[in-house]
Amino acid sequence: MQVFFKKNTCSLFNMKKYTLLFISYTLLFLNHCSTDLEETIETDIITPSNDVTEPVNNTSNSNNTSSQNTTTTTSFDHKGMLINWADNIIIPAITDFQNSLIQLQETANTFTNDPAAENLTSLREIWLTSYSKWQYVEMFDIGVAEEIYFKNRMNLYPVNTGKVEDNISNQNYDLEISSNFSSQGFSTIDYLLFGIDDNDDNIISKYSDTNLNYGTYLSDIVDKMVNLTNQVKAQWESSYRQSFIESTDNTATSSINLIVNDFIFYFEKGYRANKFGIPAGVFSGNPLPDRIESYYGEKYSKILALEAGNAIDQFFNGKNYLDSSEIGLSLNQYLDYLEDDVENKLSEKINNQLKIAKDKILELNDNFKIQIEDNNNQMLATYDAIQKTVVLLKVDMLQKLNISVDYADADGD
Amino acid sequence: MLKIYFREATQHPAPLAVFRILFGLLMLYALLRFWANNWIETLYINPKFHFKYFGFSWVNDLGVFNYLIYIICIISCIGIILGYRYRISIISFFLIFTYIELIDKTTYLNHYYFTSCVAFLLCFLPAASYFSLDAHKNKEVSKIPSWNIDALRFFLCIVYFYAGIAKINSDWLIEAQPLSIWLTTKYDIPILGQILQFKFIHYAASWFGMLYDVFIPFFLCFKKTRKVAFLFVILFHVMTKIFFPSIGMFPFIMIFCALIFFDDSIHKKWIIQLKNIIKMIKNFIKKNKIQNTKYADVSYKNHSLVLPVFICFFIFQLIFPLRYLAYPGELFWNEEGYRFSWRVMLMEKKGYTTFKIKDSVTNKIFYVDNSDFLSSFQEKQMSFQPDFILEYAHYLAKHFENQGHKNIQVFADSFVALNGRPSQRFIDPNVDLYKKIESFKHKTWILPLKDEIYGL
Repeated sequence: MQVFFKKNTCSLFNMKKYTLLFISYTLLFLNHCSTDLEETIETDIITPSNDVTEPVNNTSNSNNTSSQNTTTTTSFDHKGMLINWADNIIIPAITDFQNSLIQLQETANTFTNDPAAENLTSLREIWLTSYSKWQYVEMFDIGVAEEIYFKNRMNLYPVNTGKVEDNISNQNYDLEISSNFSSQGFSTIDYLLFGIDDNDDNIISKYSDTNLNYGTYLSDIVDKMVNLTNQVKAQWESSYRQSFIESTDNTATSSINLIVNDFIFYFEKGYRANKFGIPAGVFSGNPLPDRIESYYGEKYSKILALEAGNAIDQFFNGKNYLDSSEIGLSLNQYLDYLEDDVENKLSEKINNQLKIAKDKILELNDNFKIQIEDNNNQMLATYDAIQKTVVLLKVDMLQKLNISVDYADADGD
Repeated sequence: MLKIYFREATQHPAPLAVFRILFGLLMLYALLRFWANNWIETLYINPKFHFKYFGFSWVNDLGVFNYLIYIICIISCIGIILGYRYRISIISFFLIFTYIELIDKTTYLNHYYFTSCVAFLLCFLPAASYFSLDAHKNKEVSKIPSWNIDALRFFLCIVYFYAGIAKINSDWLIEAQPLSIWLTTKYDIPILGQILQFKFIHYAASWFGMLYDVFIPFFLCFKKTRKVAFLFVILFHVMTKIFFPSIGMFPFIMIFCALIFFDDSIHKKWIIQLKNIIKMIKNFIKKNKIQNTKYADVSYKNHSLVLPVFICFFIFQLIFPLRYLAYPGELFWNEEGYRFSWRVMLMEKKGYTTFKIKDSVTNKIFYVDNSDFLSSFQEKQMSFQPDFILEYAHYLAKHFENQGHKNIQVFADSFVALNGRPSQRFIDPNVDLYKKIESFKHKTWILPLKDEIYGL
């Protein structure tokens, strides 16, 4: 309490002087924007001039860049954070993912031309690699990715097997329409590579019979995924990156708010609910083991969940996608800036809770289906550990950042 | 003395006429803005379910007819501005505006309540007895009893003063919360954004805000300080609009309403200028000179019921905001007696509340996805307000009962953070909310805040 009183008297002492200062600044400001107060002015005077032409690997310096401009020493470098997100996390992740998809495309072509057992094995391997890299891309549902429903078309599960089989036998399908979102993407490949028949020999024989058209559908699906990813990648390579890093405001449509909302939405839905909650029966009362990610591949659900958890840790802590020992600005650092005088830091609490959840995931069976059928309580306990982070992110973090959850558009007082 | 004050018409009606016109214009703009933002649809028509004010569950959303009553409300505004069939216009405005606000408490704002209160007062005041189409047709009044204007002034004083004393608490003055959170994250305001990073600015703003609210009514009442005080009114409210663009029309409403404190000379001047403009336009259109309206020396007499109604209104206004004193626990946390008390921009509260539905016989449980039932705005508001949580719990129970579920129990898994404190559990997770009934009684199932906030 003593500290508080000290603060209090200090502010009283300074109040008159600073109130005057405050008022004069306000009047000054009013002159500038008297035309429309609701519009925030676009010019970006907060952020120091970061070197934007040579962006990669320079964010470790971004803490020091404020020294270029002595008046900004007190403020957090929001632009530096956006640059780190764009250049060291998002773009490298998409690039890496894109490369793995191109490899997947090649391997898929090899397999469909020559449906041999070893080609199937290598196709499955590449598929898993690509699926793992996708976990680092899914959360950034922004720009073109959002417009083309990227995440829904790449990784909606469970796969609608009936629709897939219909499409294959009819040879008449439009992958652009939303009713086909659950018959394309990774979960469909999962079905096509592991689930169309009982064993590998039978699966291979289905591909060998070209009249059955399984190979054609596989190629179409993979081509579509490459095509969609190219669109997303192309946007980040265009002027979009620049406008992304310039949009440092705290408004509903600014980059920081959009990405933070995406991150939390992903954590709550794509990670917590889809990978754990729904299969464990949290929302239905009954366990639904067939809702796990990679249901037909069986033993990959844990690997994918761990990759997703790693992607979350990487983003929250600002770790470079290519070299996780290199750390730039992200939410962790932003929270520390906002909580400079707090003992029990929120960023530490979040990291601790992420760690607890990770340890619980590590104890699970590689195949979540077996885990749910054998001991669903362990799955539910893992879900609860993840749920605790949702509270920290959605309540504590959003309060500190003063960012509102998606589109709650109305006046407030 | 008191008798003369309440009986004798001594005051020129010009301030009331100006107030009527400005109020009408602002409301017209506010209604059109509401419509243009498509809020009629997103806030009232789209949601499957509305959170009702206690005792007003009979107020229902009218679907597409919302637009119809909005149109009537807009026409009423024009009637108010022109002073055409004023009494019908203001009464219909008051009823419709209040009805709309009562549909869903998710959208509760202090300045909507303020608007309803002012409209209520205006229903009884001779605001169209001067410089209006009604007065033009009949006869213009030159004198009204001065309490007619003082009533509005007094109401404004109550609003400011209560808003001010609500800020006298340890969070606001000693922790500079929630302004610390709000101002630090306004880094994107040009020039000011940098200054807002300093802690002492948060303290200065908190103290200035509190002192402003408490003292501005007095400074506005005294002639000597009035002009400076009004400059502060403009400054303060424009500042709030810059820092908090989402507070909507509130700053403008308060600035224009505060003009009522000025005496009639300045209002008369404005009306003469307005009259000249109207005359010029008329002359331009008709080409023949129009004579000035006859200006009779008529005194206005209020209906004998008006005074008792006003006395009741003000007793209510003075007492109702203090009802929180009757509840145990922390007001900001429990929010028992928080609304309708002029607590404006007073706290930063965020919550996360999910609901567990349990069959008490089979012990089978599942969680509800709130987005299946609520708009994101409703979910946000529900998550930290106990009466919302209870109402929603009952709605869910009935919904799942209708789906054939049996022996339903509803438990809330709720976490709330207040003014930058770490989040803590908000609702007792072991209490079946379906068994709890909404009332004015203290809600024992709210877990107490693990901290103390001192103050009024």
